[in-house]
Amino acid sequence: MARAFLRQKQHYVALLDATERAMITGLMEQTRLILAPEVESTGDPFTDLVASMGVSLAIEDQVEGQLEHQSDADGNDAPAAEHGSDPSDFTDRDPALDRLLPTAHRGDDQVAAEFRRLTEEGLRQRKSGNLDVALGALKAAGTASGDRVVLDGEQAPAFLMALTDVRLLLGERMGMRTEEDAARLHDAMETIADDDPLGYALAWYDFLTWMQESLTHAVMGEGPPEPSV
Amino acid sequence: MFAPLLSLAPTTEEVTSTDEVTEPDLPWVTIVWNDPVNLMSYVTWVFETYFAYPRVRCEKLMMDVHQKGRAVVSNGPRESMERDVEALQGYGLWATFEKDR
Repeated sequence: MARAFLRQKQHYVALLDATERAMITGLMEQTRLILAPEVESTGDPFTDLVASMGVSLAIEDQVEGQLEHQSDADGNDAPAAEHGSDPSDFTDRDPALDRLLPTAHRGDDQVAAEFRRLTEEGLRQRKSGNLDVALGALKAAGTASGDRVVLDGEQAPAFLMALTDVRLLLGERMGMRTEEDAARLHDAMETIADDDPLGYALAWYDFLTWMQESLTHAVMGEGPPEPSV
Repeated sequence: MFAPLLSLAPTTEEVTSTDEVTEPDLPWVTIVWNDPVNLMSYVTWVFETYFAYPRVRCEKLMMDVHQKGRAVVSNGPRESMERDVEALQGYGLWATFEKDR
């Protein structure tokens, strides 16, 4: 049975059992796959991404090498041919990436494309780094520690940002793009079947929301934290 | 299915031109947009942590984002706004920059 984050002296402590830790770890790992910076891509991230998230093959935000790889494997160059490679064309990007790395200028695709070119890799590295910190904290917790997830003052902001990116990804996958979507999804929980994947996803989304809310209040409880940027 | 970016953009959004780069006198702004995922407490914490604004100002900005759909959270030269947007996107907020109107 989980207990939300509480401040204990200089640390923030939550209780998460093995199942809860495993689920959050899995979600964070999937988010990290989506966000993986290009410089550290190991093996075949395109295959990993598709396999783990079940996203469409028509992702032209993939780097060209990955598209070529996909084309070679399938003997089919349709994804590249259909969408071209105009870097200012974000309309067919995986919508989850558009939430994790949104356009920075509405109304001027050229400005947005230039900003993305200059910042995307750095943002991917930062977000991946936050997820690594959070995954490390979850791994360090275990039954021997009484299921305690312990964060210090530097880990807590990273954990908050990691939870945000996981929730952004889950939210997008559930079609939660507006406040109305969120209300409609939660209303649907009343009638949704227990084994419906959407209900399962929403339950974990709400669990992560609860965790993040508690950690946010804990870090704000003692006055403004030090800037971490 | 619909395109979230397009559906959320105000229809009155000004279409800027690339000429604006050569007009250094006009200040730029950083805007944070409402979304259904980011928590009100978390958004306040981000403003407090990144901008070091007083909490009451952070809460006011957060409420503007929540209730009005967007808020201007900083202004200044374009380079500063790009830095702010990059940082805020790092926190997971939906931040954009544009020339002030």
